[in-house]
Amino acid sequence: MLLLEGATYRYAGYATEVLHDVDLRLDDGEIVGLVGPNEAGKSTLCLVASGLAPASVGGSLKGTLTLDGTPAAGLETHELAQRVVVGFQNPNTQRSGIAATVFEEIAIGPMNLGLPVTETVARTREAIARLRLEHLVERDPQRLSGGQAQLVGIAALLAMRPRHVILDEPTAQLDPAGTHLVGEALRALAGTGASLLIAEHKTDLLDEVCGRIIVIDGGRIVLDGPTAAVFDDPRLAELGVEPPARARLSRALVERGVDPAVVGQAIASAAG
Amino acid sequence: MSVFTRAGTTVLFTIGPFDATLQGVDFAGQTLVRLLAISTAIGLFGLTTEPRSFVLDLERRGLSPRFAFVALATLEAVPAMVERASVIASAQRARGLDTEGSIRARLRGLLPLVGPVILSSLTEVEERSLALEVRAFGKPGRRQLLWRIPDSGAQLAVRSLLMLALVAAIAGRLTGTFPALP
Ligand SMILES: Nc1ncnc2c1ncn2[C@@H]1O[C@H](COP(=O)(O)OP(=O)(O)O)[C@@H](O)[C@H]1O
Ligand SMILES: [Mg+2]
Repeated sequence: MLLLEGATYRYAGYATEVLHDVDLRLDDGEIVGLVGPNEAGKSTLCLVASGLAPASVGGSLKGTLTLDGTPAAGLETHELAQRVVVGFQNPNTQRSGIAATVFEEIAIGPMNLGLPVTETVARTREAIARLRLEHLVERDPQRLSGGQAQLVGIAALLAMRPRHVILDEPTAQLDPAGTHLVGEALRALAGTGASLLIAEHKTDLLDEVCGRIIVIDGGRIVLDGPTAAVFDDPRLAELGVEPPARARLSRALVERGVDPAVVGQAIASAAG
Repeated sequence: MSVFTRAGTTVLFTIGPFDATLQGVDFAGQTLVRLLAISTAIGLFGLTTEPRSFVLDLERRGLSPRFAFVALATLEAVPAMVERASVIASAQRARGLDTEGSIRARLRGLLPLVGPVILSSLTEVEERSLALEVRAFGKPGRRQLLWRIPDSGAQLAVRSLLMLALVAAIAGRLTGTFPALP
């Protein structure tokens, strides 16, 4: 379980706080979506919840982060990395810059952990299979498309076999097929007991994989609840978040006088 | 008269005011052989050894992972910088920058490229270092490397022979079998 309590955070050299008294709890096996307008503090929350801010980024944090009962404050960065990993939006900055092939790129994390070669290879193969990257293993990681690079970046995180995964806009460069692949991989990961936090603009993906959605605005959590309830909330549009297609469709049908129970049933059966 | 480094007694031949002495020619020959030996060794190393494999093998033999990372990242960064520079050059050309023509025009065209190339590399540095930390780059201790550079029996034999030859040469010098230069 990842537990963030009373987090108020300020970047180094800035007078104003970017997060205000944020509480976040990720239970094992849970996938939580994080949405909000631009500049709301999603990326900052990802940094704070992963322990990188303030430990590596600097700045000042009031409040505590606890990972499976261990306070994050006393952990070295490599100890932190074995408990929680975070993926950033720009796949170019995710690359290690020292691997000659995609296989090596994905293997670097487990290798850094000092694992035996057989274990490193097993984890790397597993991560490759999760994101169906078999056709890319021999490629130069510097010469991938944006979408491919993003998938490789996620695979490199999965190879760490983390207990907690935080992803900041993991599908920004992906087409619908790639996005779907990421969704499946995240669900499989949660199935192993990992907890996930995903900041995303693509609410359709969140609608598909998340059990809970958190809406953040101006550095404060303004909504937090089950996925369907949050995405059906009328305040969402005012916050600049586009609800998923499912929610928009059901709202339109109900507004035109269709029985809400019938709409719910029809959408459930269409979603399979 | 000998105007070069060595004075000699045995004059072999004379060109104008210069005398070529036996000692002088002997010294020149030895220096030439040394320079040849050094430059062929460096050349051979460069031609036969891929820098990447070299660094990884050094790490396998005990080089610190941190140092290996710096060396590998530098090797990979150069082509990336070149590529970035060419993208930025195209972008600047599209805005009307002149990167062809006289040397002066080209030099003037270079300036608007240097800033963006360096800046765009620097802005990503923080996120890059965070991404490395997430993958446990700071963990102390050895890594179990996946890479293993093939090392055949023949290579091992040649290496051992060369090592023996080196030891023999040093021993020869110390015992006076191969005397140093006069
Ligand atoms: N590295 C930084 N240094 C200072 N301020 C920052 C930094 N990153 C983001 N901010 C500020 O923090 C606020 C929240 O930004 P961010 O967390 O990136 O929002 P989001 O990801 O939701 O768009 C913004 O006002 C932004 O200007
Ligand atoms: Mg962001």
